[in-house]
Parts: sequence; structure tokens; C-alpha cells
Amino acid sequence: MHNTLNRFQSVFGFFTTVAFVLGCFIAATDFYAERAPTGTLKVQNLQVVKGRPHYYSSAQEEYAIIKFSLDADLSHLFTWNTKQVFVYVTAEWPAAKGGVNATNEAVIWDSIITNPSADHLKNIGPATMKKLKKSAQGKTVAPDRGILSLRNQRPKYQITHPSKKIADTENVKLKLHYNVQPWFGVLTWNQNQDIGFWKAIKGGVSAPFALPSIKKKN
Amino acid sequence: MLSMLQNPRQAAAQVLNFALILSSAFMMWKGLSVISDSPSPIVVVLSGSMEPAFQRGDLLFLWNRNLLQDTSVGEVVVYNVKDKDIPIVHRVVRKYGEGEDAKLLTKGDNNPSDDTELYARGQDYLVRKDIIGSVVGCELPQVVRLSLTYCTNIVLDIPFVGYVTILLSEHPWLKTVMLGVMGLFAILQRE
Repeated sequence: MHNTLNRFQSVFGFFTTVAFVLGCFIAATDFYAERAPTGTLKVQNLQVVKGRPHYYSSAQEEYAIIKFSLDADLSHLFTWNTKQVFVYVTAEWPAAKGGVNATNEAVIWDSIITNPSADHLKNIGPATMKKLKKSAQGKTVAPDRGILSLRNQRPKYQITHPSKKIADTENVKLKLHYNVQPWFGVLTWNQNQDIGFWKAIKGGVSAPFALPSIKKKN
Repeated sequence: MLSMLQNPRQAAAQVLNFALILSSAFMMWKGLSVISDSPSPIVVVLSGSMEPAFQRGDLLFLWNRNLLQDTSVGEVVVYNVKDKDIPIVHRVVRKYGEGEDAKLLTKGDNNPSDDTELYARGQDYLVRKDIIGSVVGCELPQVVRLSLTYCTNIVLDIPFVGYVTILLSEHPWLKTVMLGVMGLFAILQRE
């Protein structure tokens, strides 16, 4: 009844309960940290090509390449409980005239920004890792990593549509999004309205534009 | 062991106690399942394709109800490929259409290309019913994993629940062994 195993189990059980409650308190501090992200998105260059967007594409289809510029300040998102911030830019457009789809949304660019406390988890080569760790200068929280400035950025993903047609699409918008991943707590995304200390992104949407007609790829 | 034979009443109590532990764990699991509307409300990350967000062995809480909005781009979802029973945790990167029939494309944050190649033959996109839940709660750090172990009391003080689950899914015979060991513990342990 009071053997070593039992004692060990009770100490251990109490420890984990305390650790869990402490974790919940830490997660709760996030709600008191102000978030006021801002972003400016501009489309730089548009191109629609017919071809195979990937090596595994089975057939030719139209795909769009959207180059853009982004200025964003997401520094507020980096707190002591932040593990990483996943930043992504989507292109959104309404259904084609007479089409079946009501809305379309596709990620054209994304980036994983780790807090220095999570740098060691990132899947990169040793040289890049050394550089990344050096950039934090021994800090565990690096809000400056949340300041983005991209000029004429090539998209990471060319976008397509299940109908295999995307040329001349109208009313396309680029939109900035983020997903905060805490060390302990729930995942949070950018909100559409202000909630407590967390403000909605100021800006973060480009002016609507239309995709051009096909440019033949040689 | 010998004392057990001498005292059948105590032996029966221990067997019942063991059954109680098993059935309460099962009830907790199914209860969570009903609340979250997901066949598998807690999953273990099996691959590193979402690193650094989720590591192999992390436990994730899932939510499978669309109360406020559709499952949308940017959400991390767990899906099963058609006719395969391996849950995959990836992020939705494209969505065409709305509601149940929306076509969804997923990609692991750490993978260079999207999941088209992971899907079944002839399956270009996922639909809502392929998804068994969206990740709401946190990657669970080690400490929580431990306390979860403690709370459910199923696995007695085995620290890496996640890793154990990976082991179990990779070697099914271990389940029988584990159940046997647990049964033995329950019977041998006094009180």
C-alpha cells in the first residue's frame, strides 16, 4: 500500500497535475498580450501559363503566377509562449460566371517563422541553422522576426483550378493570414474583428485585380 | 500470486478493478468522440511533415464540427486517404467551392509539394467527409503527455505515450503484449 512504486506514482501524479495547471496559466497570459498586426499587399506581376504546373500533373492546365510585394508587422505575435508563426498569403476569387464553385481560395506563398526558442526544431541544414540561431543573439523571443518586407516576391505555389481554366479570372484579391502556434495552448488565426486585446489585421488585403489571358510557354 | 489463490474474493475484486479501468478509459474516449464529433478525437502525429509545428509523437486534440464556419484554408486538418486507414495531419492550402462538396487540397508545412501524390488513385482533392477533424488544441508538450497518461491511468507511468502509440501502430502484436502486462500488473498489484 505504501511501497516505493505507490509513492513514486503519487509524487509523479501530483507533479503532472501542477505542471498542467501552470501550463494553463501560461496559455492564459496570451490573451493579455496585445496583438495589432498590420500588412500591405501589392500585386507586382501577373502571368497565366498553360502547361504542367508540377512534374506529377497528368495533363496540361492553366496556372497563374502572381508576384507580389508584402510589408507586414507581425511582431506582436511573438511572445514567450509562441513556438512559431505560420504566415501565408492567399489568392481569393469568387465563382466563375455560371460556374459551380462559390468561392475559391489558394495559398500562393507561406513561411514558417520560429521564435528563437523553437529554432532547434526547424528542419534546415546545419549552416542555415547556425545563421538562424546567430540572428537571435541569445534571445528567446524575437519580435523583429515578425517584420516582413518582400519586394517582387515570386509565389511559392502556382495556382490552378479544378476546371483547369484560370485565365481572365476577375475580382481576385490577395490576403495576408497568420497562424500562431503556442508552446502550450490553442492554435489561433487572424481574426476578422477585434477580440479583446487582439486586433484584426490592419490592411492585409490587396486591391482586386483580374488575371491576364494565357501566355504561351515555349 | 499465491495469496491470490488463497483469497478468491480479492482476486475477483482485482479483476473487476482492471475491467473498471479499461471501461472508464473507453468511456472517456467515446465521450470525447461524441463531443467533438470526430471518430478519433485525439491523434498522434506519425510523421515530421508538419515540423516544426508538430513533432512525431505529439498528441493533438481534434474538433470536427463546423459551428461557425466551413473548414477553410489555413486550418490544420487530419484526414484519411480513401480506402486507407492512416490519419494524416496536414494544412489545407486550397479550397474550391463551399460546404460539403468543396474541393480541398492539403500540404504538410515541411513538405516541398502538396499532397496530390498521397491521395488515392483518381482522387485529386479531398472533400469534407474525408476529414476527421481540425486541430484545435495545441501540440501537447511532454508534461501534458505525462499528465494525460496519469489522468487516463491506462498506461501506468510510461512517459512517451505518443511514441508508444507509434510503436503500437507499427507493431500491432505489441497491443496484446501491453494488455497482458497491464492485466498482470492489475492482478499482482495489491489494493
